[in-house]
Amino acid sequence: MNYLRATNLGEATALLARYPEALLLCGSTDAALQLRHAAATATLIDIHALEELKGVSVEDGHMRIGALVTLNELLRSDVVRASLPLLAACAETFGSHQIRNLATVGGNIANASPAADLTAALVALEATVTLASQEGERSVPLEAFYCGYKCTKLDHELITAVTVPLQTGEWYYRKAGMRERLNIAKVSIALTQGHGGFRISGASLGPSPVRFRTLEALLDGGVYDDAAIKEALESDTDPSGGHRSTKAYRLRVAFNMIKEALSQPEER
Amino acid sequence: MQITCTINGKVHRFDCAPESRVLDLVREAGMTSVKAGCGEGECGACSLFVNGRLVNACLLLAPQIQDAEVVTLEGLQEETAAIRESFAEHGAVQCGFCTPGFVLRAYDYLSHGGERSEEAIKAALDGNLCRCTGYRKIVEAIVKVKS
Ligand SMILES: Cc1cc2nc3c(=O)[nH]c(=O)nc-3n(C[C@H](O)[C@H](O)[C@H](O)COP(=O)(O)OP(=O)(O)OC[C@H]3O[C@@H](n4cnc5c(N)ncnc54)[C@H](O)[C@@H]3O)c2cc1C
Ligand code: FES
Ligand code: FES
Repeated sequence: MNYLRATNLGEATALLARYPEALLLCGSTDAALQLRHAAATATLIDIHALEELKGVSVEDGHMRIGALVTLNELLRSDVVRASLPLLAACAETFGSHQIRNLATVGGNIANASPAADLTAALVALEATVTLASQEGERSVPLEAFYCGYKCTKLDHELITAVTVPLQTGEWYYRKAGMRERLNIAKVSIALTQGHGGFRISGASLGPSPVRFRTLEALLDGGVYDDAAIKEALESDTDPSGGHRSTKAYRLRVAFNMIKEALSQPEER
Repeated sequence: MQITCTINGKVHRFDCAPESRVLDLVREAGMTSVKAGCGEGECGACSLFVNGRLVNACLLLAPQIQDAEVVTLEGLQEETAAIRESFAEHGAVQCGFCTPGFVLRAYDYLSHGGERSEEAIKAALDGNLCRCTGYRKIVEAIVKVKS
């Protein structure tokens, strides 16, 4: 195995151009397990020291969150708690204290798991990812960044940051699993309702984090009845059965969460 | 590759593959308080501090401790004395396999000014599993640590 450490963004993009199949290493909470299945010839590019990818800042009604920000940094950040409470609530349900000390925002997005909690929350918040390569930078809406199960549009690029409009209005975040904490979500739901109307997304309800556009349109139109919500949910989602729970179970939990979100949202 | 770091204040050098787990390196270096439990980040038996942050040694790869300051329970005997005493007093130990991880987490939590309520302590222990005690005595022991 070939190990390379990048000390700045230029170095990282040059290495990535040279070793396009390399596994990037941040907190390694996903990568450590991925490595056990990777070919012996794999190259590791360690990017955990890149200063350009650290820190949280607010400008023009948006928050920029560096790809290397850990879940515990997110959870403890006063600006995040004040301006993006949904994200703080999500971070609170994420992994365990020890995992949150390692796991990064960029790693959660890039890993492209259908169960990625933070990613689902960021989709409801209409986040944009910034990607860098030797050719320069580009930004993509997070929702459009995925192309199916474990498929992303990363093209010899790395994620440098996510940019999120500051949240106003009502919000809701809930995750269901076997244990209250430290588990992979069977279902999680993120909802915001501000000036632009409803924004709803979920994890473990499709091959990648899903945005519920049919349901959003329905609720924006003032239709709240159970049958219509159920039907919209079915058309918006594509939960696989999987060994952890059935499709019917996931849909029922999602439905109950949506009902709870509508009757008891948090406010900001 | 060569890895240099300090473990409990002493410099250690390892000649290892980049994909070696930090868990195995520190145990080979004699720090057997760091336990190999689940190997997947779920149980916290392998917890140790890297540059002041409590993390799972089973998920960390050797290059991630290059130049780092690693601290295990062996290096925190004095600092954790009151916590360990409280665990003994309250019977928060049965087989003891999970104990070093719990003691380090309790130390991490209390030294950051963690609240002494049962609810807060239960939440703080989300990364540590115990198969024996049922947690009640562990939580009680942490609530009652003498400061
Ligand atoms: C016990 C346990 C509990 C967990 N609980 C949760 C949970 O509750 N919710 C949840 O969503 N996830 C959970 N996870 C999964 C994992 O912790 C997260 O996905 C985490 O955010 C990954 O970040 P990382 O820094 O560890 O990524 P790494 O493991 O370092 O990298 C993961 C992958 O992403 C790529 N990558 C990393 N950073 C970048 C970047 N900046 N640009 C491009 N590619 C990049 C790497 O090449 C690699 O393929 C859990 C994992 C474990 C082991
Ligand atoms: S052995 Fe590392 S968390 Fe279980
Ligand atoms: S005392 Fe045996 S696992 Fe906790």
